[in-house]
Amino acid sequence: MTEPTWFRLHTEGGRSVLYLQGAWRLARLESIEARLQRLTLPADTGIDASALEQIDSAGAMVLLRRLDLEVDAASTLAWTGLNEGHRRIIDRVREQLAVGPPPPAPRRQSWLAGVGRRVTLLVELLTGHANQLGGTLVAMASLLLRPHRLRMRELVQLEQTGLDAIPVVALVTALIGVVMAYLLGLQAEQYGANIFVVDGVGIGATREFAPIIVAVVVAGRSGAAFTAQLGSMRLTEEIDAIRTLGLDPWQVLVVPRVLALMLALPLLVFVGDVMSLLGAMAITGSMLDITATAFVARLQDVLDVRHVLVGLLKAPVFALVIAVIGTRMGMTVGRDTRAVGAATTSTVVQSIVAVILLDAAFAVLLQAMEI
Amino acid sequence: MVADPEPQVAPDRGPVIEVDGIVTRFGAQTVHDGVSFSVPRGSLVALIGGSGSGKSVLLREMIGLHRPSGGQVRLLGTDMWSAPQAERNAVRRRFGMMFQDGALFSSLSVAQNVAVPLHEHTRLAAATIDQLVALRLLQAGLPADAGGKMPSALSGGMRKRAAIARAIALEPEILFLDEPTSGLDPITARGFDRLVRSLVDELGITVLVVTHDLDTLLTVVDRVIVLSQGRVLADGSVAEVTAVDDRWLNEYFSVRTILHGDRIDGS
Repeated sequence: MTEPTWFRLHTEGGRSVLYLQGAWRLARLESIEARLQRLTLPADTGIDASALEQIDSAGAMVLLRRLDLEVDAASTLAWTGLNEGHRRIIDRVREQLAVGPPPPAPRRQSWLAGVGRRVTLLVELLTGHANQLGGTLVAMASLLLRPHRLRMRELVQLEQTGLDAIPVVALVTALIGVVMAYLLGLQAEQYGANIFVVDGVGIGATREFAPIIVAVVVAGRSGAAFTAQLGSMRLTEEIDAIRTLGLDPWQVLVVPRVLALMLALPLLVFVGDVMSLLGAMAITGSMLDITATAFVARLQDVLDVRHVLVGLLKAPVFALVIAVIGTRMGMTVGRDTRAVGAATTSTVVQSIVAVILLDAAFAVLLQAMEI
Repeated sequence: MVADPEPQVAPDRGPVIEVDGIVTRFGAQTVHDGVSFSVPRGSLVALIGGSGSGKSVLLREMIGLHRPSGGQVRLLGTDMWSAPQAERNAVRRRFGMMFQDGALFSSLSVAQNVAVPLHEHTRLAAATIDQLVALRLLQAGLPADAGGKMPSALSGGMRKRAAIARAIALEPEILFLDEPTSGLDPITARGFDRLVRSLVDELGITVLVVTHDLDTLLTVVDRVIVLSQGRVLADGSVAEVTAVDDRWLNEYFSVRTILHGDRIDGS
């Protein structure tokens, strides 16, 4: 079993002949190319193809390219013994190679241009979000004037974004309550200040943690779903179809989702409040000997209703931002399948960052307003 | 003789596609009830039939995407449904398939699309692959600068050409085309017919085309296989097939008569 030779250069009486042999097929092109690299042709070589068994266009291409490099005018080489089928392939490939090489790949840009491009993209992204927010508000306003246009059927979103999210929200917030109470309890125990754990958990969970955690979960669930749904609808030209049917995609697709999320998120935050307090109650009972009655009594004393309200009122704002980002990324997604995936990821990241930024802004603002 | 791990190509003649007694059932519905035919090397064969006659399903069974309820499909002598996995994979590299609307990978440029099978199944140098891609684009009748474009930026005709370029990337022995001229204007469609014919004549590829296009049949196809009622109704040259007395076939070819009066029987 020897490596096939593909060709043989034979010199006799000052005249060289390149004998081609074997099957020059794409499957063996690597070995053919490696052999061709070592070929040097003397001037005025003839080519004998009578032992050539097969040649496909890939084989013909590497052969012709090599001959072109070796000989100034490769087309003047004398070919003999070429059968009709092989000649057709070789001639055709020669014609196609004569068209010339493909244009070079675009030059790489400098890092400065890269930075500039990223900044413009970021600005475009943010103005796009602002535009989406404006469009959503306009669509909502026009629905206020003609409320019968609101598609109640689309409010099924409320079920998907709200009801279906309850188990995961309940689980996550209950665990957060447990962790908070445990960590506070470790410190408070040292000073015999066990009961103050209820103060900390009560205010922390209802005012900050439940809204944030729930918003992050919803951004991952519903924000991503909005982008994926609208993105695939854009790919299949469904959004274009909605437009050509004289419907407004803002009213049909965007507003129901935004409304659904704005209704669902405060409700989910309330579930989160209750569950995190229950989680805390469970661990303070066993760890710090605070009975459920004592827990509730203390909660009643220290937890001002304004803390709960702040948490619940932040939720619709978070929801608006998540829904606007989610729908906008879906409606402007590029028309290929990978773009939908990229946009979905981007939605989740953007929504979470936006929620945390907003929450920080709320904290500063409410502090200044002494609420 | 040469040690060649590549399964040696049976020198020229002999059938490359053998379909033997294919039966296909979806629940109670029988789509194919013993379909048999074979296609010799180097020919351009059309598979026609009314809507719901199971052309596309048969095509999917031939290329190993859908398991028939009974019967055998042999491509290049390998049974597509009972041969060992490795053997079937080897055969997969020896045929190409063009899906109806191209099925180009939308996140890759045209050139990258064509390069996918080359990167996947060969260990050629990147420069050689680039050259081969350029050659494939030219063979598919695309301009050299089409390689850098994204599929979404192409017209329907160019997208189909790009799909052909990808299908022939590995220099297949068989090429399956699903409705290659559907959705194209007549001029582009005729250009496409010429392209397919040139692949058969110049590269010696065997082509099986599922089509509705009468002009394709009348101008470039060597042989027509007609599927009807789950069986092969007719199999032969266009002239032979038009002579068959069948309601669907008569109606099918009469469209042409309406347009061109008496041109039907001559060619």
